Amino acid sequence: MSFTPAEWSLIASATVAILMVGSLHVRVNLFGYCVLTVLISLATMFSAIDHHETSMFYLAGAIALLKGISIPLFLYWIIGKLKLGSDSGAVLSAPLAMHLNIGLTIMSYFLVSEFPVPLGELRTWVGAMAAISMVLTGIVLMLIRRLAISQIIGFLVLENGIYIFALTQTRGMPLIIEMGVVLDVLVGVMIAGLLMFRIQSSFEHIDVSKLTDLRD
Amino acid sequence: MWQSMSTETFLFETARWILFAVITFVMPILTIGVVRKTRARMQGRMGAPLLQALFDLRKLMQKSEAVSSTATWIFRSGAGIELANMLLLSTLVPWIANKPDGVSSDLFLIVYLFALSRLFAILAALDSGSPFGAFGSSRDATLAMLVEPASLLALVSLAVVAKSTEMNVIFSLTNVLLAHDPGLWFLAGTAIVMASLVELSRMPVDDPATHLELTMIHEAMLLESSGRNLALREFTRALKMTVLFGLSAQCYLRAWDDFWHFPVVAQVWLSIGGILGLALLVGLFESVSVKLQWRKVPEFISYCMTLSLLAAMVAVARGVVH
Repeated sequence: MSFTPAEWSLIASATVAILMVGSLHVRVNLFGYCVLTVLISLATMFSAIDHHETSMFYLAGAIALLKGISIPLFLYWIIGKLKLGSDSGAVLSAPLAMHLNIGLTIMSYFLVSEFPVPLGELRTWVGAMAAISMVLTGIVLMLIRRLAISQIIGFLVLENGIYIFALTQTRGMPLIIEMGVVLDVLVGVMIAGLLMFRIQSSFEHIDVSKLTDLRD
Repeated sequence: MWQSMSTETFLFETARWILFAVITFVMPILTIGVVRKTRARMQGRMGAPLLQALFDLRKLMQKSEAVSSTATWIFRSGAGIELANMLLLSTLVPWIANKPDGVSSDLFLIVYLFALSRLFAILAALDSGSPFGAFGSSRDATLAMLVEPASLLALVSLAVVAKSTEMNVIFSLTNVLLAHDPGLWFLAGTAIVMASLVELSRMPVDDPATHLELTMIHEAMLLESSGRNLALREFTRALKMTVLFGLSAQCYLRAWDDFWHFPVVAQVWLSIGGILGLALLVGLFESVSVKLQWRKVPEFISYCMTLSLLAAMVAVARGVVH
């Protein structure tokens, strides 16, 4: 099996996403998210070289700066403010969830091999597999965690998966749309961060599993 | 086999075996030396010389021995059996590129020969009659049980792609079936490094430098050994470390081989460099990491298992594609 550099970075990022599930420390998860996003930005750069698209270089830079560095820094700041250490986890223990995730990756491999490939298109099953695997990883991350900040991280991983799918299954989207998505995510995370401050000040915790017990 | 050989081949083979024997005796001491030196340097100390392990062995060999009055022949022969077993393993496991082709090197045989040496370590520790030996061996057995599936799965996924369980065939330089699988080699190599950290009771699992009753694992099993007995056990452990690091260094070298092909002559130096490089990395890792709480150890092992499962996934995917 020989892959292109872009495919290698996508595989590495999907692997990092799986390894993230195994740790309940919020800081470790954020670092994992940072590494994963920088790998995706590298993949964008490599496919820009492959497809000779100048606009994708700007996109790669924007992803690395906005999603890969700004968002983790902002969330680090929030963690410091809210004094969060590690998630206590829910439903499944972290190692089991990580092993479950490998099962989901195998499932996405078989799912992707059923995809119809348009004539004359490049072989893109690796990218599609990494994308679907990462979306599922994001869902698992959101399902098995208690803290609101872990839900945000899970959502960000899921969003990265969707981006990878768009990157590998099309010949590049218009720059303006991608930039819009990146900025939307940035704004979304900022609003979610502010909401967490509000939840913390109202309820003195951000444990989402306890929010359902609310009585007035 | 010997009758059919010409004189030149015979001399060449003999020279290979002698070189291999020299490397087998020197490398463990250097590996331990590099790990200790790195740890000392990271703590701002000069550290003992690289060959300190050799001087320690000489000192221990000259010391007299104290044996517990409850100990039987099992305790007395344990160290010898372990060393013999480890020397046998070092001729079977392809941990260095110039290893002469010996007898069969089936991977299941190798994994369970490692388990056999652990069995004798546990028996000797129990036989000494010390309570520390008992709890040390119970912890050691627990860890072995947890880490065995991971190391076995990593090797089996290589074997599946190579279509052979012979380690010499899997790790052979001329094997085309595994020639273009850097991902699989990398995953298997990393899984083996992590498994060997647990197997050797090194840092995130057990701190080899402390002798606190509540936390020690491997050291608790050595407490009753002294003099020559201890020297043999220390050397066995160093040899085990070298063989395991060598095995994973070979995995990394094969992974790298896909991008940049090395000449065959360089392979021996690369293997030695790989082992010492891994020892350096382990030293660095040990100086920055903390010993894990006993309850957290399965989480560390689960990462090792994850890498093995990913390697197995790659192996299965290859089977489907071809």
